[in-house]
Amino acid sequence: MIPQLLSKKKELHFERSYAAPVDAVWRAWTEAERLREWWGPDKTTVAECEVDPTVGGRIYVVTMGSEAMGKYAGTRWPMEGTFTHVEEPRHLTYDARSWTEGSEAAEIRHTNELTLVEDGGNTALTLHIDIAEIGSGVKAKLAVYGMKWGYKSQLDSLAQQLTN
Amino acid sequence: MEVAVFSALGEPSRLQIVELLGRGPLGVGEIADGVGIRQPQASKHLRVLAECGIVGVESRSRRRIYHLEPEPLDRIARWVDSFDQLWQDRLDSLGNYLQTHQNQEDEP
Repeated sequence: MIPQLLSKKKELHFERSYAAPVDAVWRAWTEAERLREWWGPDKTTVAECEVDPTVGGRIYVVTMGSEAMGKYAGTRWPMEGTFTHVEEPRHLTYDARSWTEGSEAAEIRHTNELTLVEDGGNTALTLHIDIAEIGSGVKAKLAVYGMKWGYKSQLDSLAQQLTN
Repeated sequence: MEVAVFSALGEPSRLQIVELLGRGPLGVGEIADGVGIRQPQASKHLRVLAECGIVGVESRSRRRIYHLEPEPLDRIARWVDSFDQLWQDRLDSLGNYLQTHQNQEDEP
């Protein structure tokens, strides 16, 4: 039993290829009425959706559990962010936080970079998410004490100690 | 559950205690010295950390020795994993949306 958290990479990287022109993928990301069609995973609906794809503009999407989610029915998972770079139709970045309503202390702060490249009618999508902070204020304190998420020799000794 | 763990770790002395215990189990006196706080304060912080399961304690002869428990930290790791899974599903969903939408636009 090793606390993987502390040896875990804090970056998520996704690559996909879609059989659609780059403009269609861009619009699916940047027009609220389109984004809400695909954003929510299974058994959720998008309760609120705002996208203003300009630098300093807001992205705000609230996903909500449907009846099919049982005990999570009605639970709201907002994501709120600000666009920091917008280059239609190929590149956008935004800083955001995601949380569960009612459990704000356990929010995730993340930066997101979306890159789209069209190639012969297909569009390659790259999404890079850097988890900057987990839980309010924990990261700042982690930095103060030299504890960063991931890459820590000190944590190897922790892992070792825990297996002893 | 995570909320309790996060708020426990959000206090600088407690986070420092966790860091210290990462190097090996210690008694309360050593912990207080290591963090630079008084022993009663250290005891108080250790109680909070024990309550949310981050540290455990065992008695060795007459000393109480504190150690880290991996479970709460594992739980946070799984929670981060769920974020990864969420995005996998979401990007699949985008693919389905584009396909449907594309077909609609192709129609006369």
